[in-house]
Amino acid sequence: MRYLVMECHPGYAVLLDEEGRFLKAANLQYQIGQTVYDPVLMKETPEKRRVMPWISGGIAAIAACFLLFFGVNYYQNYLQPYSSIYLAINPEVQMDLNRQGTVVELTGTNEDGDALLEGYNGKGKDKVTVADELIDRAIEMGFLSEGGQVSFSIDSPDEALFQEYGMELRAGVTEHLAGQIAVNLEIVNRKNGQGQENPENSSSPSTSQPPAESTFLPEPSQPETAPPASSSPADYDDTDYGPNNDGVTDYTPSASSAPPADTDYGPGSDGVTDYDDTDYGPNNDGVTDYTQPASSAPPADTNYSSGSNGVTDYTDGTTDYDPDNDDDSDDDSNYDDGDDDDDD
Amino acid sequence: MNDEHKIVQQVYAAKEDVQAADQLIGTYMPFIKAETAKFLKRPPIEGHDDELSIAMIAFHEAIGGYSRIRGAFLKYAAMLIRSRLIDYSRREQRHSRVISLDAPAGEEDTALGETLADEKDPYEERAARDATRAEIEELTRQMREFGVSLSDVADNCPKQQRTLDACRKALQYARENPELLDELLKTKKLPMGQLTAGSGVERKTLERHRKYMVALLLIYTNGYEIIRGHLKQVMKGVAAR
Repeated sequence: MRYLVMECHPGYAVLLDEEGRFLKAANLQYQIGQTVYDPVLMKETPEKRRVMPWISGGIAAIAACFLLFFGVNYYQNYLQPYSSIYLAINPEVQMDLNRQGTVVELTGTNEDGDALLEGYNGKGKDKVTVADELIDRAIEMGFLSEGGQVSFSIDSPDEALFQEYGMELRAGVTEHLAGQIAVNLEIVNRKNGQGQENPENSSSPSTSQPPAESTFLPEPSQPETAPPASSSPADYDDTDYGPNNDGVTDYTPSASSAPPADTDYGPGSDGVTDYDDTDYGPNNDGVTDYTQPASSAPPADTNYSSGSNGVTDYTDGTTDYDPDNDDDSDDDSNYDDGDDDDDD
Repeated sequence: MNDEHKIVQQVYAAKEDVQAADQLIGTYMPFIKAETAKFLKRPPIEGHDDELSIAMIAFHEAIGGYSRIRGAFLKYAAMLIRSRLIDYSRREQRHSRVISLDAPAGEEDTALGETLADEKDPYEERAARDATRAEIEELTRQMREFGVSLSDVADNCPKQQRTLDACRKALQYARENPELLDELLKTKKLPMGQLTAGSGVERKTLERHRKYMVALLLIYTNGYEIIRGHLKQVMKGVAAR
């Protein structure tokens, strides 16, 4: 591009380019009328820049808000302790978990716990992993041996989480220890452990226990002794989780009433009343309907005796009568156990 | 404090007035030289070092771009000078492998440039330059009648290609209707209404670049052959559209 020098000032020159633009450029000893090829043009200094701080300030503010939002989010999800698991063998260890179930903090709550944690870093690991590793360490250090007891006390803000963690821990640890040693696993909801143990405990163990039972060697006869435990929390925990906790909690209301057997059906709660009427009267014509519930309550007396009638029904419910059958049916199965025992 | 206030006032005056700007640059020449010396690590030689010219136009740019919210003027100017000098030195680095014509050729005292055969006749060139200069001076004088200086035009020149095209379109229309140019000369006013109506360019656009339009139209009135020759691109551009 050729530029024609139009005007010369001490500080600058006015040039005219071939497209008709008038431009200011550095005056490199130019003379008016000269044609130049490679001038140093003056740059535009936009004064509208003044708007920019405002806009950029706004953008910065928005960005800051986003950062804050995600930061808080991240903190809540990953850094902030949301729930805790207290592992007690003899050493007691507190694991603080974030919302993802990852360990954010490990503290020993007694001397052995400190010893167990010494030189161990579990931060950022999953709770089950940490539990497994801690148990390994405990075995290594001699805190835990064959037939020992491991207790997990879970402190979570809501019940669902407790259930979930309980299941996970139970499954994970059981699997982990399967080839090594047999220990007693116990899972407690810490919050309710103090106050309203019964309902909470019952629900969790009943769901989570079955798979774990395989490792439990202790006698099954204990459940009966357990029911009274309902009144005293401390005892309750022990017996509850050991072997037969399933029925224990639920039984409390029903079990106490059940043994009287006869009256059982009266207070028998929800559907029971119905069964009473129909069951005993015509016995089992309608039994097919009762399969599940009927099997539970009335069977004790009538069913077994007149098993021929009801037998078909029991096939379904047969599992219930067995001691191991608990798995599916919640309340029903429980009743069965109780009844069976009575019969025996 | 008081001194600072004075220079700020001077700068604001210089924004409006070309003469004041030149004067301000003259007054602060030592400052500009000092800043250039800082960059060059040696005192600049006036009329020899391009860096000094760059520093001067940077100072001029500082006058135009300064506002009170930018803080002390001299600090701002110093910063601008430094950055423009850096820009320039980067640009020049591209040519760093080119030998200067002023470099000594061989043993003798003659410069390399002098050993080359002249492509152009220096006398002819000088004659052409003088003719051009006469034309430009005439144009400058005529523009002054309109109250417009070339510096104003440079400040007022369209920056966007689109705006430039619009102005060209208006110019094209004026050239096709020479009576408009006559009217311009007679009344010393831009026939804005007719230009807008005839060319279809927005009035606002033309208003904003009024000074530029004056210069452009004047160039196409009479005379100014050489300048017009230089500008041939302008019309080519419009014809192509």
